[in-house]
Amino acid sequence: MNYKQPLELTGLIANLDAFFREHLSPFWASVVEGLLILIAIVALYAVIALALIYVERKITGFFQSRLGPNRLGKYGSIQSIADMIKILIKEIIHINRADRFLFYVAPFFVIGSSLMAFGAIPFGKGLQAVDFKMGVLYLIAVSSIGVLGVLLAGWSSNNKYSMLGAMRSGAQTISYELSAAFSLMTVVVLAGTMQLSEIVESQRYVWNIFNGHIPALVAFVIFLISGHAETNRGPFDLPEAEGELTAGYHTEYSGIQFGYYYLAEYLNMFIVAAIATTVFLGGWMPIQVHGWDGFNQVMWYIPSYVWFFGKTALLIFLSLWVRWTFPRLRIDILLNLEWKVLLPINLFNIVMMVITVLAGWTLTDLFPNLFGLA
Amino acid sequence: MKALIKYITDIFVAIKNLLKGMGVTWKQFWAKKVTMEYPENRDTLVISDRWRSELTMPHDENNEHACTACGICMMNCPNGTISVTSSTVETEDGKKKRVLDAYTWNQGSCTFCNLCVLTCPSKAIAFTNDFEGAVFNKEKLIYRLNQPGSKLREKKKTQ
Amino acid sequence: MVQQIVFIILALVIAVCSVLAVTSKRVIRAATYLLFVLLATSGLFLMLNYHFLFAVQVMVYAGGIMVLFIMAIFLTHQPGKSVPTKASWKVTSSALLAVAGLLLCGVIIVRNVVCAFRVVTDHEISMHSIGQALLGTEKYQFLLPFEAISLLLLACIIGAIMIARKDKGVKEIEKVENKETENRESWEKSL
Repeated sequence: MNYKQPLELTGLIANLDAFFREHLSPFWASVVEGLLILIAIVALYAVIALALIYVERKITGFFQSRLGPNRLGKYGSIQSIADMIKILIKEIIHINRADRFLFYVAPFFVIGSSLMAFGAIPFGKGLQAVDFKMGVLYLIAVSSIGVLGVLLAGWSSNNKYSMLGAMRSGAQTISYELSAAFSLMTVVVLAGTMQLSEIVESQRYVWNIFNGHIPALVAFVIFLISGHAETNRGPFDLPEAEGELTAGYHTEYSGIQFGYYYLAEYLNMFIVAAIATTVFLGGWMPIQVHGWDGFNQVMWYIPSYVWFFGKTALLIFLSLWVRWTFPRLRIDILLNLEWKVLLPINLFNIVMMVITVLAGWTLTDLFPNLFGLA
Repeated sequence: MKALIKYITDIFVAIKNLLKGMGVTWKQFWAKKVTMEYPENRDTLVISDRWRSELTMPHDENNEHACTACGICMMNCPNGTISVTSSTVETEDGKKKRVLDAYTWNQGSCTFCNLCVLTCPSKAIAFTNDFEGAVFNKEKLIYRLNQPGSKLREKKKTQ
Repeated sequence: MVQQIVFIILALVIAVCSVLAVTSKRVIRAATYLLFVLLATSGLFLMLNYHFLFAVQVMVYAGGIMVLFIMAIFLTHQPGKSVPTKASWKVTSSALLAVAGLLLCGVIIVRNVVCAFRVVTDHEISMHSIGQALLGTEKYQFLLPFEAISLLLLACIIGAIMIARKDKGVKEIEKVENKETENRESWEKSL
């Protein structure tokens, strides 16, 4: 069944591609397209960061019975642009007796890792820059580089607070990466593939979170918790811990270098939500019911990137909700939570998922007629 | 076995408690916001009467105040923000009397402790809650409280 | 041509950073240069379209081992202090050893590069074939070595735990127990 998709960008992209192929040699066409994709991704990165900073401040305000930014523009909507300009023109402070080389290199690890993960996310139909066969593995891999930037930043700042923050961050990220990876693997068992586009395609009529019912739900919750912890936010923000460590690993950074950390923090929040959306909630796939063609057509009128950003926004809201509800955990409680609760549950859960898949207890196996697989 | 059961029940108890906490913040999210948007709500703004921001010397309709220029407020002020200058004049019936020339108050170094108002024997000064006292330079923060041409209110001889 | 340029850049990064990692006088900087070497190596895998090894290289070496390295270096005394150069004969002998190792590896690689090149295909290898190769028992499948390595890792972990707790744990428990029995005996005697 082909549905009308008037607002999709696939046609535009195909036209652009044809245009470049026609007027340029294949080599230069691919170079130009690569550059365009790069610019698009970096621009999207910055725009999403700005939007997220605004949304976060607004929602934070609402949770605290305040209004949040409300002065610049309507409802304070250009507040974060003003903040960006301020951070760009700020002085970069050079620190005496700090390890200069590492100090300047560290922010690039953080921002590089989050950009690399950002590039592989399927934003919509045909809106995926790279589609690796081992996409999930790639996401886990590149997001593990970020902690190096935090560690090096903490050490090279030559500051006790930064050092403590970096150590905490190292312990926390190494621990929680394990849970995040395991919960993603649970879904890989269910979907039978690691390619993000195939994972999205396989959730056409039923999302993975429903398809794998109990084990998938447990994996989803664990992924949200560990992803939240990996981004050093919410109740897990010990590396920064304003109250104890002033700002943790980025105490000594200023100007655009601090901006990198700030940007990466917000984008990591987005990336975690985006991965959860793609892997558990059907990615950019609109809600469809097998057999209801009229309904499906209406759903397809809403373009796929709107679906993607909508689902992601819901998860980001959840993340903010959690952040402003719970108090910060102590470091030993934090590590206990991972090693004594999340990891054992996760290991048990992945076995449960294997049993579910092998025994044919997934929804698609139990009710193939509903999903047009019979 | 007992430990295992406790482990599992603990997880569910924890989930229940966390959800309870999230319910509280969910209600807060939709609750009425308490932020006051200041310049817009100037007409409806309510400032508490106990808020002290500007020292005034109330004058009545005859341009008379109650300050006898005794200088107690000046002596009591911890920051020396008040200075009272007075002169002595001779009244009609030959008595010498102290008259207030200038009562200046420097808002810039005032801590709004209220000691001057509390110790004033004739209740000549009072704090108002008019908080919009911002000016463009320091010199403008020095106010003269007695109006030009004002004089001391005569005590009515009731007895 | 693009492949050539990318390869030359990656090779330069690997070569320069390897030398820097050895010659750097600060431990933490040496670790960082090693990190660059590992990342550039993963870049080589990416260039070959060998994404699985790229991801594993980044995850295991850059994200896992280097993080542990840096954490361990943090725990040493003065990780940023310049370490004085060792005696010259030590430097020359280790340099000679390194060159010898390079020659050996180089000869092996040059001899076998033709057949190695044939294995590296242009298209991306699917996850299924990697999974089946890793966890199969047929010819050219690696379940047995896989399990053997995991057994080795398990032995390492248990060994580490034993080493960590040998000194304090057991002896102190024994001491306490001995003291308790002594106390009890002396108490019984006094009765």
